[in-house]
Amino acid sequence: MKVLNRKTLVMLLVAILLVLGACSSNSNNSGTSNATNNPNNSTESPSPSTSTDEPVTLTMLVSGAKAAEGEDFELETLPRLVREKFPNVTLEVQKLPDEQYYTTVKTKLGAGEGPDIFLVFPKLANMGAIEVAKAGYAADLSELSFWDRVSQAAKNDMSYDGKPYAVAKGMDILGTFYNKDLFEQAGITEVPTDWPSFLDASEKLKAAGITPIVMGDKDPWVIQFGMYQLAANSVYPSDPEFDNKLQTGETELTDEKWIKTLNQYKELYDKGYVVSGSLGMASAQAIQQFVDGKAAMIFTGTWDLPGVTASGASEFERGFFSLPGNDANQPVYASASTAAGYALNAKSANLDVAKQVFEYLYDAESPLFEAWVASNPSISVFSGVELQHDIFQNVLSEIQSSGNAFYFSNQMWPAGVSDVMQSKFAEIIGGKNTTAEDVAKAMQDKYKELYKE
Amino acid sequence: MNSAVMKKTMYFFVLPALLFYCIFWIFPILKLFQYSVTDYNGYVQNFNYVGFNNFKTLFQEEVLVTSIKNTLVYTAITVILGNIIALLLALLLNANIRAKGFYRSAFYIPTLFSAIVVGFIWSYVYMPQEGLIASFLAKIGLTNWDTNFLGSYSKALYSIIAVDIWKNIGTSVIIFLAGLQTVPHELLEAGKIDGAGKWKLFRFITLPMLATSVTINITLSVINGLKAFDFPFIMTNGGPGISTNTLIYAMYKMAFTDQLFGKASALGIISFAIIIAITIVCVLTLNKKEVSA
Repeated sequence: MKVLNRKTLVMLLVAILLVLGACSSNSNNSGTSNATNNPNNSTESPSPSTSTDEPVTLTMLVSGAKAAEGEDFELETLPRLVREKFPNVTLEVQKLPDEQYYTTVKTKLGAGEGPDIFLVFPKLANMGAIEVAKAGYAADLSELSFWDRVSQAAKNDMSYDGKPYAVAKGMDILGTFYNKDLFEQAGITEVPTDWPSFLDASEKLKAAGITPIVMGDKDPWVIQFGMYQLAANSVYPSDPEFDNKLQTGETELTDEKWIKTLNQYKELYDKGYVVSGSLGMASAQAIQQFVDGKAAMIFTGTWDLPGVTASGASEFERGFFSLPGNDANQPVYASASTAAGYALNAKSANLDVAKQVFEYLYDAESPLFEAWVASNPSISVFSGVELQHDIFQNVLSEIQSSGNAFYFSNQMWPAGVSDVMQSKFAEIIGGKNTTAEDVAKAMQDKYKELYKE
Repeated sequence: MNSAVMKKTMYFFVLPALLFYCIFWIFPILKLFQYSVTDYNGYVQNFNYVGFNNFKTLFQEEVLVTSIKNTLVYTAITVILGNIIALLLALLLNANIRAKGFYRSAFYIPTLFSAIVVGFIWSYVYMPQEGLIASFLAKIGLTNWDTNFLGSYSKALYSIIAVDIWKNIGTSVIIFLAGLQTVPHELLEAGKIDGAGKWKLFRFITLPMLATSVTINITLSVINGLKAFDFPFIMTNGGPGISTNTLIYAMYKMAFTDQLFGKASALGIISFAIIIAITIVCVLTLNKKEVSA
């Protein structure tokens, strides 16, 4: 009797294990079969059953904050318009703050539960197109039909091995938003066009009792916003291949060009042009200070337009210019880069449907494309789309006519180098005895630790 | 062979639970040891074994020492200061004062909010020039005080700790209050008759009777301090620089920003060792004290 009992128990356990095992291998099988099938099915001939009849749910994970007023494009407009065009497709969108986005999307992709559509950044950046493509998570989009309308630069920045993996939302420009009324009040008649005249303007503002620059350095990433604009002038014009040489070890971040850049940015803090106590202020608080008319300038990018144009305690006209890091008599270079863009999950079971959604989204005639353009603060990289925001007109035409622009430096660095730059530079802001050389050395050390061929 | 208490076969019923425990708890922990000697980046599945390189780089970097030091300071202050304040509050709230219930709930309310909300609110309180503290100081004419709490290398860590104490004090107070209810009146009365003053009553009667509450509170705050993450994450991003990095925060940064899961796992093992050591010391000393009391 006892023996039998033990036997039954053991058999029961074995049975449980088998069931568990079967479950997991089942799901594995279905996962792999889908993934292998998909490349064979081209977009033009999707199996009709999935495209028209069966209800399909697509998941989408993006980063950012919900629109403060009106309809949010990704959370509301997009799912609604997709529904109208494809009645069987439900699009579930989740929007997360940047930091959480990176962790969530990576965890999901790594666990094989990635969203069907997700946001990818250009080149080597964190969640950059190159690493996502290399890891096999993003689907090759070269067969989609709209590429002839996308600017070559935007396509290249999202490509790996010559194949595009994401469609950029547009082009982003780093710049200096400024308060025209306060500039006038301080007697500044012209927008500064070189480094000496920028320092001069800041001095005038300071002398007039106006805080020249407000930065929310408690969110350390904002340090990049001024820094990359300076690097576009002090590092790349004399050596456009700098970052490629960095990869081969031909040059290092401790090069005098970067020391110059870091010292330029340091000068703004040393001379007291940046609001004191900036390390205790969050970026949202800094934007509020700008909007309330308490400071004349703030460094950020085109994406912050809704924030800096929100109404605050003071009414004034806003302007936008590239922070001129150039020496006198040299042209200004802008810091402009391809913005993040949507990519498709290569392992998604609904890749074909997702591709159809993409075709519709980027079809110049579709109402969805129109809504996308209207809601997008970035400058469109699609041909035939007019500039939506006049404030960027000057800088943009300058870039278009002269071609004087370089990308954001961190797009060619492994994620993590910019963090070291921020935390080391914060020591300078905090009044420690750190020098530009110390910052550059820490950046180079991190680069060496993280960069892998 | 046959046990009088339980049949041996009954042990089989533990197996399913044990199985789940192993799969979801023990296995991931062992995985941590494996990752610590690799260059795994968190999501590309083919990685290389790099020996003890991760540990070597960690020991060369500033961040290890800073984060260990910060974690220890964080823990020490929350444990000592947090519990002393909590005990004082509990004694006050146990006294016969008016609207006792109101005060008791008032001190417990911060505990109910999530750390995110508390951190967010306090970063506005601490804001330089415009924040609640800064504008209050300006109102009463103290304009030359440095009000850059979160942005200063010397003050940021302590400012965060203060918020942590403020938020978590409610829990400790409740435990102390509950403990105070168990102090028998007879003992206090006997003490009074014997001519003991207020301090002696507290030192020789109340405090020993509270030994269990003290153990619970200290253990809880040690755990809370050692795994400090929320407030550095929400209020300072570990900054300025790396001055408010705690062990867990540094680990998170390494894993998710630098994408060095291998190195983060190595740091995980180091902190695992530290936390185990501290916990053992704590539990052993407190247990002894409790028995003798």
